[in-house]
Amino acid sequence: MFRIEHITKQFSDQFVLQDFSFEIQAGEKIIVSGRSGIGKTTLFRLLLGFEQPDSGKIYFENQLLTEDSVWELRRRVAYVSQDLNIGRGNLHSFFNDTLSLKANIEYKNSSLNELDDLMNSFELADTLLQKNLEELSGGEKQRVAIINALLLKRNIFFLDEITSALDKSLKSKVLDYFLLNPDFTVLSISHDNYLPASAITRTLKLD
Amino acid sequence: MNGAQDLSFFSMVMCGILLLVPLLGIWYFKLGITKELLISTLRMIVQLVLVGFFLEFVFRLNNWLLNSVWFMTMITVAVFSVIKNSDLKVRHFFCPVLLSFILANFFVVLYFNYFIVNLDFILDAKYMIAIGGMILGNSLRANIVGLGDFYKSIRKDEQLYFYKLSLGATRFEALRDFAKRSFVSAMNPTIASMATMGIVSLPGMMTGQILGGSVPLVAIKYQIAIMIAILASTVLSISFSILFTVRYSFYKNGTLKKEIFRAPNP
Repeated sequence: MFRIEHITKQFSDQFVLQDFSFEIQAGEKIIVSGRSGIGKTTLFRLLLGFEQPDSGKIYFENQLLTEDSVWELRRRVAYVSQDLNIGRGNLHSFFNDTLSLKANIEYKNSSLNELDDLMNSFELADTLLQKNLEELSGGEKQRVAIINALLLKRNIFFLDEITSALDKSLKSKVLDYFLLNPDFTVLSISHDNYLPASAITRTLKLD
Repeated sequence: MNGAQDLSFFSMVMCGILLLVPLLGIWYFKLGITKELLISTLRMIVQLVLVGFFLEFVFRLNNWLLNSVWFMTMITVAVFSVIKNSDLKVRHFFCPVLLSFILANFFVVLYFNYFIVNLDFILDAKYMIAIGGMILGNSLRANIVGLGDFYKSIRKDEQLYFYKLSLGATRFEALRDFAKRSFVSAMNPTIASMATMGIVSLPGMMTGQILGGSVPLVAIKYQIAIMIAILASTVLSISFSILFTVRYSFYKNGTLKKEIFRAPNP
């Protein structure tokens, strides 16, 4: 599904990734690990086209990722960032806005129908829908970002430390949800030791 | 019309004495901006004297071409000021912002002169340059807020912008909220001043007209018209500026070019 070939990325005079190659098959669950600053988030940003590699190539479904073709990838991948600056204002409008984007509009009705169930699954009260994002706690926002990604009905997930603000039981619930679904292709940055026992994962250690 | 009373040489000397108040303030509070104040005052005097003589000439000749050229010059200076004060690079922004300002301000001024004042000669110096100057001055202030904030907020909230792109938003969709907020902050001062107009302040247009001999009832009609014209030119010029500059300010993959800013870091 993804093929990364000899990527090098440097910020000022520090190499973040050097001659890095990797391949991800459909349905795989990849756990990205490594100390902070090693380039885990940069890897996601390269895959999403927010950074350009200094050299090397990335292929998505055998197509070279370019400044033009990255737009298609952004309509196929659901990304949950570790940064919780995801928007402002009323939570229901937030979900509604996501689903009103041209890329997602075809799922709008069906996804909005599932919203209550998703809120329940991740232990968020329905009443939160009337609150503003600014009023939510870090853990609540993190789950909102996860739900927002699931509403997109995509099956490739880039998850950047999505359980950092969650308690133990929620952590396992979230990770089970992603890592045990055979249809999902998951690339997950995580510092957690927890992995569902029956999950088949592969670790990508950056060093 | 009688026109305003002329100010004698003695009046101007008295005016100079009034300048001692800010100067004393600066000295007393050790603000350290004496030099800037004096240079600005000097520049203002020299510029106004030159413009005064020039406008006498322009008004007397009242030639459509000269009037238009002078209005274009005013627009060009305004555009430089907008770009510099928005911390953006003149090289990247001059042409698109100039085009936006020409379209927005010429349209509003000509509309004003033709449909509101019903002038036969819509490029009349008195109207085009005076009314145009007021509209342009306000567009300038609004665009520094509107255009400047638009790009600054994208740079500051880049994560949010990327997040929207990652959800599948087109560049236009991802920028919509940023543009909305810039419009609001650009228009708020004009809307707020409209709400208190006449009570808190007698605006420049009215003051000028009353001193120039118009009756207050005529002056308020002009004031209402000019405030609406200012809002129209503000919305038009910011829309055009954002629309025309966006295509030069982003890479094809949707990320903002950092080299459009004068300061490398926010």
